[in-house]
Amino acid sequence: MSAVSPTIVRIGAHSVFGRRRGILLFLLPLVLVGLAVLVRALVGEDLRSTEDTLYGLGLAVVVPLVALLATTGVLAPEIDDGSISYLLAKPISRHTIVASKLLVAWACVLVFGALPMLVAGLVLLLGQPEVGFAFAVGSLAGGLAYCSLFALLSVMTRHAVVIGLLYLLLWEGLLGGLLDGVRWLSVTRWAAAITEQVAGQVTLVDDLGFTYAVVATVVVVVLGGWLTGRRLQAFNLTGDE
Amino acid sequence: MSTPSEGAPTGVIHDIGYRPYAGPRLGEGAVAWALFVTGLRNSFGLGRSGRSKVLPMGLLALMLLPALILVGVLVQAKDLLGLDQQIVAYSTYPMTTQLLISVFVASQAPALISRDLRFRTITLYLARPARRATYVLVRMASLTAATFLLVAAPLVLMYVGGLLADLPLGRESQRVGGALVGALLLAACLACTAALVAALTIRRGLAVTAVIVLLLVTYTVVATIQGISADTGHARVGEVAGIFSPYTLVNGVQVYVFDAPHATRTPPTGDGMGVLYLLATAVTVLGSVGAMLLRYRKVQG
Amino acid sequence: MGVSVEDRAGPGSGHGAPVIRTGALTKTYPRVTALDGLTVDIGGGVTGLVGANGAGKSTLIKILLGLIPATSGTAQVLGYDVARDGGRIRSLVGYMPEHDCLPADVSASDLTVHLGQMSGLPYPAARERAADVLRHVGLAEERYRPIGGYSTGMKQRAKLAQALVHDPRLVLLDEPTNGLDPSSRDDMLALVRRIGTDFGIAVLVTSHLLGELERISDHVVVLDSGRLLRASATTEFLHRTGTLLVEVQGKPDADRLLGQALLDAGVRATPADGRMVEVELRDDATHDLVRDLAVDLGLGLVRMQERHHRIEDVFREGGAGSVHPV
Repeated sequence: MSAVSPTIVRIGAHSVFGRRRGILLFLLPLVLVGLAVLVRALVGEDLRSTEDTLYGLGLAVVVPLVALLATTGVLAPEIDDGSISYLLAKPISRHTIVASKLLVAWACVLVFGALPMLVAGLVLLLGQPEVGFAFAVGSLAGGLAYCSLFALLSVMTRHAVVIGLLYLLLWEGLLGGLLDGVRWLSVTRWAAAITEQVAGQVTLVDDLGFTYAVVATVVVVVLGGWLTGRRLQAFNLTGDE
Repeated sequence: MSTPSEGAPTGVIHDIGYRPYAGPRLGEGAVAWALFVTGLRNSFGLGRSGRSKVLPMGLLALMLLPALILVGVLVQAKDLLGLDQQIVAYSTYPMTTQLLISVFVASQAPALISRDLRFRTITLYLARPARRATYVLVRMASLTAATFLLVAAPLVLMYVGGLLADLPLGRESQRVGGALVGALLLAACLACTAALVAALTIRRGLAVTAVIVLLLVTYTVVATIQGISADTGHARVGEVAGIFSPYTLVNGVQVYVFDAPHATRTPPTGDGMGVLYLLATAVTVLGSVGAMLLRYRKVQG
Repeated sequence: MGVSVEDRAGPGSGHGAPVIRTGALTKTYPRVTALDGLTVDIGGGVTGLVGANGAGKSTLIKILLGLIPATSGTAQVLGYDVARDGGRIRSLVGYMPEHDCLPADVSASDLTVHLGQMSGLPYPAARERAADVLRHVGLAEERYRPIGGYSTGMKQRAKLAQALVHDPRLVLLDEPTNGLDPSSRDDMLALVRRIGTDFGIAVLVTSHLLGELERISDHVVVLDSGRLLRASATTEFLHRTGTLLVEVQGKPDADRLLGQALLDAGVRATPADGRMVEVELRDDATHDLVRDLAVDLGLGLVRMQERHHRIEDVFREGGAGSVHPV
């Protein structure tokens, strides 16, 4: 029994791009690159502007939203209409199911999050490609962590999408802007710390160690994925709203 | 005149005679009003299950909280701090609390719009005397009114607090008046675009996400552009960018029309830009309404 | 402002005026013709609209309600033209859709009151009417629980209640027994019959199950591929096309003898399985004729069994699409 099931991966890929969800997934990186082009046209190559754009829009908004859309797109529709029970009835280990679905979500984060970040970074600062590269690495790390988080959320509640959004807006967004202590528990800020380290020349977050950020990210990715598998084992389909 | 009911078990028809209805039947105006009121109440969870009250009421409380604190500081420490006006301008407050407003609109638009489409209850409405367009317009009006209440409530609170703190009546009334008009425009822009998105996506989770994405991304992009353009001497670019997010758009309108203090890096300057902002507002609202009417024309019941 | 009681009478409200009238009504889509020159009059009482899936039943109802426009032709409901007076018609007509249309998180009571208001009833009247109507359809304590937890039977009743809340003069019921188990189906059919007879509301009920319509309808309209196959009173169906199955004995070739005698008497008779004779049942006198002929021939009459033709025979004669007998 392999760790990843190709069939589930394929079905997952289908459901992510189903209906209107797919449009949003394409739109977000487009906006990011578009803004990068605009900023480049306005100010030429400028480190400060690059930081603002890639962190403010890219790392803080686009990457988490891509992760949310991709993860819930792979899990939520099945849970929503109950067809997850067909999948659970098959003799495939829960962890294989989770791993396969997360693989699809990670691929989306790579294609719609990290890669566009790289492109945007190169557009903005062609002379310093390591910045773009660093942001891409940071987005990948942050994206993976977000995927695990949102996967766990998806199997815990039917309102995963709304709660995920509230978490992003209120915790990472509003409070994160107001209170400094939030950075220890904020995926975006861990990703920013990783970016800092790789690029070497950007400053995004105060006083957040690289090691801590890496460890925290890995913990969330692994723990989140494993807990999701555990939760699926005890899955109970409840009523409606 | 009715025959006595048989002792039938539940689920079996009771044998009391059918009484026809001979009372008044109201016209489309009264029906539209009833639908409007129901929609407005439902936006705050009234008339629905208990759980649906949590989010909107919670958001309302969170909107009022900072205003309450500001008013408290104003009243108590006015002389101490030498304050002669509101700590946060009326027109700036919605900009500051925009996340709460966005979440409200994003969660209530699907409840009001997507639900009827998802469960196909729309058929039951279309099979009734009111016209299709009436249903669409009234729904959007309900959402607009609910959003307006959310945005305006803290402003009214600040106004009352300001009067308690002996701020000049005439000046404050003028300012809050302008801000309330702004609140209405903001509510209209947000509600109409959110309603359109909700009508196009139907699935609740996706609709909520789409609206949040739209509002959040547009604001972030606009704010970034405005910041960069202000720092690099390209203010005009930032001014034009401002029309692409409802918050910056309406703030700009208030700056232009009511001379409100600006809350963005590059507010509109000059009549040309001001008129552009006004036009953009009109296009946003009317365009969304038009698109909604078109979308609902396709529903066959 | 508002529609007065007199207006409800309408131009076509006299006795005998058709409740629904269509003239060459046609509805075409790019790849399929849903209705093809349908011309039919439908009167009061309970009318059954029968046809296979895709025969055009739901399309007809939607056109009558003004939900979709016809491609050509005319239609009037209660004397009002469908194209011009859609609003007027919808205030006088109740509709019970075939598909799921009930929100899950509202109670039947709240929904019915709300939809009553949407039909123009003032709030207090809507509450009263809703309570009445919900009682009539048999939703008791369940009416206060969210619809999401209802069984299919209760949901169908809730759907019916919202169609009746504004005291319409005509109700259009699209497959009301869909998804119901046999006993619930009987309850629903009895209810539909009551609406037509006791409540004084004209009923147009569709189904692709023939047996149930036979039981409750005064008239039957049969559609096939958007065209009218047959429209007549149910009794006509049953009597005019019924047969008598006769078994005689006492002599060799008894059945042939009787059959010949019947033919000589001008009654159609054909051989049937097991040496029986199938006699066309024209009226009540046929029974006496068979008895008398048997006696004259000195035959013993063992069996005389009425076999009423059912609506499905219309289809066999007309060669229509598959419809399921109950």
